Amino acid sequence: MSLTLADLRPADAWQRFEPSAEQPFSRRLAAHLYRRAGLAASSRELDEAVRLGPEDAVKRLLSPGEATVKFDQEMHQFAQVTLAANNPELLAGWWLHRMRHTPAPLVEKMTLFWHGHFATSATKVRQPELMLQQNELFRRHALGDFGQLVRGIARDPAMLLYLDSATNRKVHPNENFSREVMELFCLGLGRYTERDIQELARCFTGWEIQHGQFKFNPYQHDERSKTVLARSGNFDGDDGLAVILDEPATAEFICGKLLRFFVADDDVFTPEWIAPLATKFRESKLTLAPVLEMIFTSRLFYSEAALGRKVRSPIELGVGMLRALDATTNMVQLANRLRELGQMPLYPPNVKGWDGGRSWINSSTLLGRANLVRYLVENADTRFAGGPLAQLLDKQAVKSAADAVDHLAELLLAVPLAADVRAQLVASLQQGGTLRPERLGQMLHLAGTLPEFQLA
Amino acid sequence: MLTTTRRKFLAAIGVAASSGLVSFSPQAPGFLLEAAAAGAELPGERILVVVQLSGGNDGLNTVVPYKDEIYRRGRPSLAVGADRVLKVEGDIGLHPSLTGMATLLENRRLAIVQGVGYPNPNRSHFESMDIWHTAHTKPQDRAAGWLGRAFDARRAMLAQATDPPAMHLGAENQPLALAARDVPSPSIRSLDQFKLETGGNVQLREAIVAAASAPRGAASDLLKFVQTRTTSALEVSRRIEAAAKDYKTPVDYPGTDLAQKLKRIAQLIDAGLSTRVYYVALDGFDTHSDQRDAHAGLLGQLGGALAAFADDLAAHMQLDRVVTLVFSEFGRRVEENASRGTDHGAAAPVFLVGNRVSPGLVGKHPRLDDLEDGDVKFHTDFRSVYAAVLEQWLGWPAAPILGEGFAPARVLT
Repeated sequence: MSLTLADLRPADAWQRFEPSAEQPFSRRLAAHLYRRAGLAASSRELDEAVRLGPEDAVKRLLSPGEATVKFDQEMHQFAQVTLAANNPELLAGWWLHRMRHTPAPLVEKMTLFWHGHFATSATKVRQPELMLQQNELFRRHALGDFGQLVRGIARDPAMLLYLDSATNRKVHPNENFSREVMELFCLGLGRYTERDIQELARCFTGWEIQHGQFKFNPYQHDERSKTVLARSGNFDGDDGLAVILDEPATAEFICGKLLRFFVADDDVFTPEWIAPLATKFRESKLTLAPVLEMIFTSRLFYSEAALGRKVRSPIELGVGMLRALDATTNMVQLANRLRELGQMPLYPPNVKGWDGGRSWINSSTLLGRANLVRYLVENADTRFAGGPLAQLLDKQAVKSAADAVDHLAELLLAVPLAADVRAQLVASLQQGGTLRPERLGQMLHLAGTLPEFQLA
Repeated sequence: MLTTTRRKFLAAIGVAASSGLVSFSPQAPGFLLEAAAAGAELPGERILVVVQLSGGNDGLNTVVPYKDEIYRRGRPSLAVGADRVLKVEGDIGLHPSLTGMATLLENRRLAIVQGVGYPNPNRSHFESMDIWHTAHTKPQDRAAGWLGRAFDARRAMLAQATDPPAMHLGAENQPLALAARDVPSPSIRSLDQFKLETGGNVQLREAIVAAASAPRGAASDLLKFVQTRTTSALEVSRRIEAAAKDYKTPVDYPGTDLAQKLKRIAQLIDAGLSTRVYYVALDGFDTHSDQRDAHAGLLGQLGGALAAFADDLAAHMQLDRVVTLVFSEFGRRVEENASRGTDHGAAAPVFLVGNRVSPGLVGKHPRLDDLEDGDVKFHTDFRSVYAAVLEQWLGWPAAPILGEGFAPARVLT
């Protein structure tokens, strides 16, 4: 039996997970790791992860190695071609393609995390090249130095255009960006005053976007002393950010958000759960990788407090299903279908990003999820390992209907199926006791409508 | 006290209502039991439908001061004369294309709120629309819309509801009015988004419903949550499909885009969704040149759609709980321009449709001999119209949403 939250104390929760006879690092746990730290894994990847064991599997996610260099070059070229069409929706399709095929799934997952954290929408920015530039900034610092990422975002044209902060004059400082730095990007509500926002805004005076590029305009910079969070000096924007990054609240805020993103949706983690993670973050000078490693190798992460305790985001659902089944499809169409489910990449709903968790679920999105699964299964553009679905299972030596159901459940579901439901899926796949491969699509569609399928 | 419509809805889904007490039969969908237990919004509540006229509707040629000499002199090619106007009262008439509105007026279902605007009017489409959407005149407060903020304020309650608080029907970007920090509202391009696709396979549909509702032994709270939402979504889908298929209306809706959207909203309302706000837009009101025919066509579309919608809701006994609010981001100049069109103006009329609106003219027509920068002056702040809609219709406190100082305008009875 694995541990529930009630069995764990915060101090134990952060100890390393050691596979045991009762809880081996099975394909199920490997699938859990890849669903959370990546965008799901194929059957072959699960076998490989089990062979590596949890520590090495996590190491590989953190340092994906040489394979990414060529992939990155190719994706960069694809992006340039996409930009020529001057349509951000195509760039959203490009990003989904990247998520589907990346050899560095944790980097991509963190890129998505930062996109939701520093939310910027192409609806307002409109220029795909600026959205791409921001996307590359997120990817560059995905697992790296949070301070560098924040300094980058403070100069990012898409962000500043999105927040109406492309000009910032000393006679009338623009408080929009400063407010979001404090409230949404670093500290969280209640850890600063309105006065701190005004003072931070003065630090950023003269920071401008001209013709899609960051410029520092010394004539508009306020050279007088500022006081941010009780520290004073003739600060510029980077100095102001340094004060904020140095606040313990920043590490706590980011770690709390990482916990919700990677471990469990519902607000079960009180500050004492977050504290050990925040300490690690500060010790590593706000570098992300050690914090992520601590999460993905913890007893907490493999406990019942984490398994199946998240609602799949629409992107996790769509891209994850493709990755788990080694499938490909038309990504621009997928992007537009994700819009109806509430998560089109590059189009977050507001500066706060996607709330996630239970807010993904309502009557129209649930029906949309069911219909998306059907679309992916039935659509002529979808290929499973280059061919039809039945062929994929054949390659993986699935002989009976029960085998097929168990195999797909392991790949696609984060929680075990109730016996009745499993029996129903098996029955739908056979006639007179023999497997009917042509019914696989329909069975998969049925599985995709299950409440279990909505959990990650 | 149950409203008739709520009683009808509850009866339709197998919930008995007797002696003023609601008792749930064991067959009642789980979502309903859960919703009732949590005190969430139940279907049957009052509904607001917003119709946005994008581009700046020419208020003076919509609600026409047809006897006014300044009006006639200022509009040599566009003025609507006494012979064509649909008379309302006194010196005021409706544009001749608004026969649908004239019928609504006869049935005491139309409030014409005159002279609505805000101080220091902005004549940029983008800016002024943002002001109407956010109910904030300062550019720094434009993160969330007036309706979105109202949803945020009711976040805990809405988290229990099965259906989204608002829906925008249309292919255009979601209006800022619905933007919320916490509570998202979907934009729906077609009712197919509520259709469970099974390729017409009835058995598959039954299998999906059976698998979704089969008991789960050791389910987590989160799985239980998703399961109740799934069974209720399948039920909503069935109701909407049945409503679309069996939807009988004595009303012959016009074939226009707006009318068809409103017809779909009528179907959703009749299907018993708990959604409180629906939002649609009609574009094309930026009539800088050759306004006459274009504007007449748009007003014809508007009046015809509103009248059919109200008749349909009334036929389904839903009109008592639906108010439709019609607004545009600004009116237009008193004087027409050299291209037989009109340029961006300021104050303009707002319309409310329903059984509980103050019928007829509300407030005076703005004076044409007392202009500000060539435009009529407002006397009713649009936020006081919002205040009435929020407090007196939806039952939500207005001050936290709009700020202090906007007493509800007298637009509802």
